[in-house]
Amino acid sequence: MAEPAKKQEQEVKMTDEGLEVGASRLTEDKIEKVINQVLKAETGARLKTYVDTCVHCGLCSEACHFYMSNDKDPKWSPVGKVKQTIWEMINKKGKVTPEFIKRASEIASTECNLCRRCLQFCPFGIDIAYLIATVRRICHKLGVTPRYIQDTAHSHSVTMNQMWVKGDEWPDTLQWQEEEARGEFPGLRIPLEKEGADVMYSVIAPEPKFQAQLIYQAAAIMNVAGVDWTMPADMGWDNSDMAMFTGDNEIMGRVKRAHFETAARLRVKRIVMGECGHAFRSVYDTGNRWLGWSRPAIPIVHAIDFYYELLRDNKIPIKEKFKDPVTLHDPCNVIRGGGLMEKSRFVANALCETVVEMHPNREYNYCCAAGGGVINCGPPYKLKRVKGNRVKAEQLMDARARGAKVIISPCHNCHSGLKDIKNYYDIHMDIKFFGDIIYKIMEKPE
Amino acid sequence: MKKGIIAIVAVLFVSAFLLITAHSQEDMKVVDRSVFKNPQKFSSVFKHEEHNEKAKIEECNECHHVYEDGKLVDGESSEDRRCSDCHKLESSGREPSLVKAYHTNCKGCHQKNKKGPVMCGECHVR
Amino acid sequence: MHDIYSFVSGPLAWVAFIAFFAGIMYRLIDMIVQVIKKEPFIFTYMSLKYSLRSIIHWITPFGTLNWRRNPILTIVTFAFHISLILSPIFLLSHVTLWDEAWNISWWTLPDGVADIMALIVIAGSLFFLIRRLTQREVKFVTSTSDYVILAIVAAPFVTGFLAYHQFFGYPIFVILHILAGEIMLVAIPFTRLSHMIFSLFTRAYMGSEFGVIRKSKDY
Repeated sequence: MAEPAKKQEQEVKMTDEGLEVGASRLTEDKIEKVINQVLKAETGARLKTYVDTCVHCGLCSEACHFYMSNDKDPKWSPVGKVKQTIWEMINKKGKVTPEFIKRASEIASTECNLCRRCLQFCPFGIDIAYLIATVRRICHKLGVTPRYIQDTAHSHSVTMNQMWVKGDEWPDTLQWQEEEARGEFPGLRIPLEKEGADVMYSVIAPEPKFQAQLIYQAAAIMNVAGVDWTMPADMGWDNSDMAMFTGDNEIMGRVKRAHFETAARLRVKRIVMGECGHAFRSVYDTGNRWLGWSRPAIPIVHAIDFYYELLRDNKIPIKEKFKDPVTLHDPCNVIRGGGLMEKSRFVANALCETVVEMHPNREYNYCCAAGGGVINCGPPYKLKRVKGNRVKAEQLMDARARGAKVIISPCHNCHSGLKDIKNYYDIHMDIKFFGDIIYKIMEKPE
Repeated sequence: MKKGIIAIVAVLFVSAFLLITAHSQEDMKVVDRSVFKNPQKFSSVFKHEEHNEKAKIEECNECHHVYEDGKLVDGESSEDRRCSDCHKLESSGREPSLVKAYHTNCKGCHQKNKKGPVMCGECHVR
Repeated sequence: MHDIYSFVSGPLAWVAFIAFFAGIMYRLIDMIVQVIKKEPFIFTYMSLKYSLRSIIHWITPFGTLNWRRNPILTIVTFAFHISLILSPIFLLSHVTLWDEAWNISWWTLPDGVADIMALIVIAGSLFFLIRRLTQREVKFVTSTSDYVILAIVAAPFVTGFLAYHQFFGYPIFVILHILAGEIMLVAIPFTRLSHMIFSLFTRAYMGSEFGVIRKSKDY
């Protein structure tokens, strides 16, 4: 395997106002109070047991793409990051400096994707992602969160969507896409507010904001497959949740409640969501728990699962299979977090002539380094993010060497993260969603 | 040459004689462990005469006791029998196993009187 | 010397065993009470099937991805932990003493085997020590307490080995051995050695989360 070429990019030390300004407002008293408040009131047996049980063996290290890509520098290992953050806070009983909090926030928010691969490596099953999320929670309560992602959390809070999409912009976008698609698919509808439909289709806000063609494609697929579906016209249409990643659980809960209540209002049988990983985690695993539901209140079906059903039941007529060999990226939140690995492969094989496996794969796949809110922390951390995932670049190069020309990434964050990686390391491959390929190869009216 | 052979034969004879009479209490140096199937520990050092002199033991039945129905029988003594005649390799009921009987008998007395060895390796000397 | 011996093998042994068992009970009850009070949702996700799936994979040598990735460590850690747990419980000398003190006894290991096991624990401790000193990712997260814990674990086996072979200073090593064992017993519930008890529960919980919700492997 060839060493991926690296572009010589000037490493500019960018400052993050979210961290700088946030830390400048802190006093040591406040830090101590907040840390102890979170540790006492919000954590319990789990945190204590995890911290008391960890024997500092370092066996989680090689699970982490950041560690592997940074020449195994121990400060990037999962336990290394835990040591630099929550251990210190606990050992010093909250007596840490604003400077420490700034660094802890940077580590927790931009040097860990909460991909949970290290959970599979720890002999004791210590939930390292939970420890790092607790650090984010503390930093959130202290008001020291990277600015870009904090902005998306603000957007969630104000608009119930991630991208400041205003009230009328949303139905407007849907109707615009409907109109466009009707040119190709006469009679196509994007049924808004249809009560009692089988499926409510929800997306993440970046789709209406700058990837409207994904809504077009989804509408085309629903139309061809004859699905009884609807999309809400009001707040609650966005299934994404950056507040989950900033540690702002209260807003996470509000956003999830709006989403579930919208589905309940429309009396749909289930929610089908677009190809997004973190959104799946937020509705399937995290947000529902915050709201007190052990499992999602309304069944959640990820796009992979939905396409699997449609293809299994021959609901999508395929003109001819996708010719270029593809490789399949396994997004952490739907594969390691949702067990869709075999369905993902079924879909890939049903759509494409050749599927080249990357290694490691399925639930052991390396993270994209963009998820967990890291890419949402914005430009100051982009270089760190792509440099910190050389192993992914090597995986992609290897797949490419074995013929793969296209990467299928059924997750928005992975999609953007892999794009940055392939650009930085000069790996000439295309990146597509399953939806892109289905749309391309399905039978369309002449 | 011949003298040498005679000497060796003589030594062998003497040793054989000594071995045969070794179990007589006057010459006892260690506790006989031959009844144990697969002994794990070294034989306990036990010089019978020297011990009794030092410990000022007059009566045989201070150690060579007799129990009937779980009660010590006064005045009876059992030095004419082997310990293993009563104490089997495994404990049964209230009757302690041979190992346990030895330990309780020796170590128990040592602990009670705060005299004599009590740690494993003090008796089971390598 | 015998007074010290009587003290460490008598009252102090009682203290150590009581602290060990009571400490374990306390830690377990405390954990369960905390879960009931603050994180009762954990019970919702617990699954016997997936707990066992996870535990069985992780207690099987080479039964998990990470064990297979680290063959030498896997062999050492399994030999170390098996010897560490079995040899003191089934050592003839220990069982004999418990039999005399509390009238309980069970099957025992041949002394020769136990001797080898003690050597395995000592060698394993050295392996872990060297690993801590040389592996960057381990060294980075190592604190003084990690060395102390390792010493607490190694000490009963080093002193036990020396006492058993009666190389020199016999009575002193017996006393040190008993003391070291008692220190380890007391340390188990109250230091990171408590992974002896807690690992079962953390494993079970993670196994359940991965099995029930995430539908993927945690091993």
